[in-house]
Amino acid sequence: MKIKVNNEYQEFDGEITVSELLTKNNVEMPDMVSVQLNGEFVKRDNFSSTSLTDQDEINFLYFLGGGNF
Amino acid sequence: MAGFTTRAIHNKYLKDDAHRSLHFPIYNSVAYEFETAEEIEKAFLGEIPSHLYSRITNPTVENFEQKIKNVTDSLAVVALSSGMAAISNLILSIAGSGDNIITTKFLFGNTYSLFEKTLKPWGLEAQYTDMTDLKKIEASINKNTRAIFLETITNPQLEVADIKAISKIAKEKGILTIADTTITPPYLFRSRDFGVDIEILSSTKYISGGATSVGGLIIDNGTFDWEKNENLKGEAKKYGPFSLIKKLKRESYRNLGACLSPNSAYLQSLGLETLAIRADRSCANALSIARYLESNKKIKDVNYPGLESSSSYAVAKAQFPKGAGGLLTFDLGSKEACFNFINRLRIIRRATNLNDNKSLILHPASTIFCEYAPQLREEMGVRETMIRLAVGIEDIEDLINDIEYGLEGIQ
Repeated sequence: MKIKVNNEYQEFDGEITVSELLTKNNVEMPDMVSVQLNGEFVKRDNFSSTSLTDQDEINFLYFLGGGNF
Repeated sequence: MAGFTTRAIHNKYLKDDAHRSLHFPIYNSVAYEFETAEEIEKAFLGEIPSHLYSRITNPTVENFEQKIKNVTDSLAVVALSSGMAAISNLILSIAGSGDNIITTKFLFGNTYSLFEKTLKPWGLEAQYTDMTDLKKIEASINKNTRAIFLETITNPQLEVADIKAISKIAKEKGILTIADTTITPPYLFRSRDFGVDIEILSSTKYISGGATSVGGLIIDNGTFDWEKNENLKGEAKKYGPFSLIKKLKRESYRNLGACLSPNSAYLQSLGLETLAIRADRSCANALSIARYLESNKKIKDVNYPGLESSSSYAVAKAQFPKGAGGLLTFDLGSKEACFNFINRLRIIRRATNLNDNKSLILHPASTIFCEYAPQLREEMGVRETMIRLAVGIEDIEDLINDIEYGLEGIQ
């Protein structure tokens, strides 16, 4: 399964949730990150129950820790 | 859960300090370097939590924001260069031309001036109503209303609105409740428990820890559904509860440039650690002075929401259980008597600020409201015969003695 993470494709063998993807990508300060899945905001409470599917596009964005948007 | 002061003191840094410094250092740096072009690209896109340029984010400022977030249980905090910067950045983010904000003429003089002189010519209007009359508030709201804006205790009228009842109306109408909590900062008032969506305040006052620095805060409690705001509904689908923060960080705050300096953020971080102790003392002193003044025959009228005789007492007690702040006013019958009294004081200082460690005194009509015509001042509840005392943390006996000496010069 291929998932586009912050504009770069990553490959996974089996099912993966948003929470697991955050861990696998060693996302810094996970409490501070906003997650968008296919252009829509994912609620923090749903990170562990939201499974990703092939060709999904996911973005991790920071609004507090920096970033000159 | 740990208490307010413990949380303020033992706030965890977002990133470990290289030297394990017990005080978060002052990063007096404008820019931050990257190893590669790829890394700096990711930082610009917001894909990694790196600082780039201190007008937008700075580690010391961010640490201060995190401390405030920690003690308020809010979603996000933005620290700015002043309380007025907090109000203007917020209003320009949530409303535009053709919109209106429901508020009262019982406002801090500069906030009124912002609405009337700065924002009105751009088509953003303030609708003034009585914040103690829920029916009037409800009747003022129309399809272009974006928020109800109130001060938790108005300055210097010291009126206290029923914030829970007002925020209930706002929620039903799908508009924001914004509270200026300068007189009752976090610790004295827990805004999220009263339905306040966005709290703004001047951290120059109580938080700075003795009037050391100018600053302001926007505290987003994360309770508003941004799809209900015309100016932010486009962002709401993509950014959910972070919509306001995204708007501030990508537009208003970044473009208006009202960032807090790292030196001020450091001082205010220290100030926050002792806020509760200073606020307790200031509130206790204010109540003692209000009671003393109430018993003195030379005083025509004393206004302090913590006095049982105040018309705001019941609502103030419910909203500010730890104390009704350090601000009180009293009436000496004439402007001349006010000036005579102020000029005789030997401990209380003649200065325009409040919630300093020092007690400060002012004649509002001839100072912070001097630019307004007498009739408008009247409508704003500012009388010529009124003195404002911002009570500090000195020993109460010395303050009472000073006031007593001042009153000896009044007939």
